Order: sequence, then structure tokens, then C-alpha cells
Amino acid sequence: MTYPNGARSFTPDFAQLIVAMDQWSEPYWQAVGEHRLQFPRCGKCGTFRWPAGPFCYKCRSQEVEWVTAGQARIYSYTVLPVMGPDKDAPPQWRVPVVVEFDGIPDVRLVSVLVGAPLDALAIGDMLEPEWLAAENATVPGFRLAEEKA
Amino acid sequence: MTSPAAIVGVGATPYYFRGTSLPQTVYELIGKAVLMGVEDAGLGVDDVDGLTFFAYGFDTATIVEMLGMPQVTFAHVVGGYGAGMAGVLDLAAMAIETGRAKTVVCIGAGQQSANRYGQALGRLPSTPDNIFHQIAGLGGPGQAMALLTQRHMHKFGTRREAFGEIVIASRAAAFNRETAIRRKHLTMDDYMASPMLADPMCRLDFCLETDGALAFVVTSAERARDLKQKPVYISATAQVANRDWGRGFFWLGQSDEAFTSAGAAGVAERLRQTSGYDPKDIDVACIYDHFSPMVLMQLEDYGFCKKGEGGPFVQSGAIKLDGSIPINPHGGHLSEGYVTGMTHMREAVEQLRGQAVNQIAGAKRALVTGGPAPHPLTAAVLSNEP
Repeated sequence: MTYPNGARSFTPDFAQLIVAMDQWSEPYWQAVGEHRLQFPRCGKCGTFRWPAGPFCYKCRSQEVEWVTAGQARIYSYTVLPVMGPDKDAPPQWRVPVVVEFDGIPDVRLVSVLVGAPLDALAIGDMLEPEWLAAENATVPGFRLAEEKA
Repeated sequence: MTSPAAIVGVGATPYYFRGTSLPQTVYELIGKAVLMGVEDAGLGVDDVDGLTFFAYGFDTATIVEMLGMPQVTFAHVVGGYGAGMAGVLDLAAMAIETGRAKTVVCIGAGQQSANRYGQALGRLPSTPDNIFHQIAGLGGPGQAMALLTQRHMHKFGTRREAFGEIVIASRAAAFNRETAIRRKHLTMDDYMASPMLADPMCRLDFCLETDGALAFVVTSAERARDLKQKPVYISATAQVANRDWGRGFFWLGQSDEAFTSAGAAGVAERLRQTSGYDPKDIDVACIYDHFSPMVLMQLEDYGFCKKGEGGPFVQSGAIKLDGSIPINPHGGHLSEGYVTGMTHMREAVEQLRGQAVNQIAGAKRALVTGGPAPHPLTAAVLSNEP
């Protein structure tokens, strides 16, 4: 798909977003508030699970330890045209992205890619987090780690 | 192994473009479909003693009240949104086989005037699990399935032309079908010019949004032989839920292999184990086509081609009406109408009765698949031989 020359994805405004969390996901959101990404691993058998939840799906233990994520990469993505109130105006582009991390096998974070050049995206591209403010929490978005020439 | 149960009646309302079935309620649509179904079978409403549903179903008491059913002794629902569609036949066959009911009506219906399925994800209340989809901006199932599609293309080299081929074949099949909503001839240039809604999926990869109701009357194979219509036997059914797929695109944490699939590998395997299912035995396949890339991935999951080879397979012309495995000769959800898979069941019955608009000569066995969606996923093999 060819997008308008130089088109980039926009940064959504999450100021009104209320992030729903529970006792299992709260440590994730607390770490994000400190600009760190960490994911839950079973305290008994070491299997990662995501989203954070009450049981290990392999050994059914409820013990959890949190592990800091390594390098982020695009596992998959899509590009959505977002129309504003003026239907004749050109769309903005939103890029939902599925992110995988070094050292965190089988976990994929569903997030949003901001400021991304639409014509130069590829699965496997390295990402870095972009910390965005929501009403009651910080939300991790991502941007390309280094843009291709 | 002989089949215990058969489909003996089919009822269907017209297929209405989204919202245009008003002022009828969805229960009025259901009532009409049930009445047509029992009449098609040569039976009466008083004979109905079983009801089966899927996708969270409809209210049994309301239907029993509305149509005056004297005694329903079996009323059950398969979960899994459209994934559970073919499972209504599994429940019906189970009721017949165990003697819990003698005449079961399987019901599916939709009315999208207030609740468009295409925006279903965005409407869900915020939870600790789905907050991530909200952050991403994934408001509809198609947007989430675009992520699976993008990765399939990356991993296997699948091209958009393959999805185009599926849409074009669907439109060609719908051309002479009066019930179909989209009948205009399409070329690959038309397809490529269609606006991108969720890269790599364009508008034409998304199915219709339709109002309508369908009802299928199921009874014992033995009784079916004495009724009005040529029986369509329920040869095999399967329902499977597994963690490999789980909530599928509502989750996006599938196993790496399942991520680039339609979540149906387990169902195909279960059909193999319980009935010796072999795709070579299938004469016509009614594949749930809410989104064209998911047709391609189902062809792989159900073994019509190898994993990753769905692109070249559909581009070879295999799925056309005169191909080695004709897909959706009624035009499917992409061109005829979308009533969560039930229109596919109707087409399978018409094919096996020999009454289809685009009749596949000598069709003896049809596969009907539930839609890739949160598990349980279901499928059925129907046959005009007991």
C-alpha cells in the first residue's frame, strides 16, 4: 500500500482514557508509571503469561515474578485511516501494533505505534517505548527505534 | 458409521442490508424463519421440542411464547460468537441421538440496526484484558484480523491478489443468485482500487452487514426418510476450544503457529479423529467468510492445501465454481449476506438436495465451518447419503 508522501501515524490523545486494572495487572501499570516495561512470569515453573492473570496456564500456580523486557520489535501491525468530523478532510493514520520483546518469550503487547512513517514499516523493526499520559496511568506507546533511510 | 440425524427443513427470511429489516424485531424475523422451516419439513410448530442456538443465543421462553410451542425439552446454546455456528447441528444431533428431543430447530439471526458487528470490539466495556485493544485503536474484528493477515503475508509471502481472488470468486458466484446483496462483476483492478480499511485489508475484504434469520429443522435419520424433503444427513460435527487460539484476535496472544491461522486446526483434527474427515471427500465447502484472508487460512487449517500455501492455492483457481474445491457457491458473506454463517448452512442443504442456484454436479458431501472468532470453534460435514 502506498500512503501519501511522508505520511506518519498520529499520537492518540489518552487524556480521557481510564485504564482498567486489577490486582494482577497493577504491577505492570506501576512499572509503566516509572517508565519501565515488565511482564509476569510464573514463580514456580517460569512460564510467561499475558495478560497478567491469576493462574499459570502450564502449572496452574498463582505465584508471579516480574521480569524487565528487553528490546521491543514489531510482531505485526496494521494501518487504519481515522476520519475526523470533516468527512472531506484527509484521514489521520493510526497504527495498532503487536510488540514482542527479547527475553519475554510468548508474550505480545498490543499497543499503538506513533510518529511512524507508513511506507517504511516492516515486521521485525526495532521499537522504543513512548510514554503517554492517560487519566489514571501512563500508557506505553511505541515509536521506531531508528528510522530507515 | 451412519448418521443419527438429518436436516429436513430450512426457513429463511429475506436478507436485508443492515438496519433495513425494521420495523420487524429480531424475534419476528426468527418467528418467520421457524414457521418457514417447519413448513418446508412438512411438520408443524407443535412438533418442535428442541431449540439450539449459538453466539449467546436468543431467549427460549420468548420464542416458545411467541409461537406457542407446547413443550420444549431441549434448549441449548453453543458459545463462541460465529465460531459456534456449525455447533448448533452438533447439539441437535446430540438431542436426537440421546432421545432428549425428536424435532429440533436450530436458529441463527442478526439485526444490526443498533449494534453493528463491525464495531463490536470498540463497544465492549473497558477491562484489564481488553484495555490494550482500546489503546491500539482496534475497534472491530476486521481491524484485529488485519494483524493476523499482515503476519501471514510476511511469513509465507501471501499476496493481496490471493484475497482479491477470493472476493472475485464470491462475487462471480453471487451474480445469478437473487438473494445476494452484492452482485456486480468485479475485476482484480476493481479490487486493488478498493480503499484500504485496515492494511492489508481493503473494503472488499470485509463482509456485508445484514439483517435476517434462518432456521433448520433436525430430526432422526429414520424419521427423515418419510418426510417431505430429501434428507441432508449430519455426518460429522466438532466443537473445539484450545489455548493455542483461545479468544483469538480478541487476545492476540495465540501460539506463533496459530497466529497466522483461522484457529480451526483443532476442529479439523477432531473431525479426522471422530469421523475420518478427509478434505478429498468434500465436494463443496461453505467456508465462513467474514473476512477474505480468513477463508485462505481456513483452507489451510481444514487441509485443502498445506500451511502457508493458501495464496498460490486460491490463485490457481481451485476455489471457483469449476475448481477442485468450489467455495461458497452462494456468494457467501462477502457477496450474498451475513447472518453469522447460517446462510452457508442453507447453501450446503440446497447443494445436497440438488436445488442450489449454482449446483455443483453430483455434490454428496459439504463442509460447513464456523467463523474464526473466540473459541469454541465448530464445523460440520453434511451429506445426502446416510
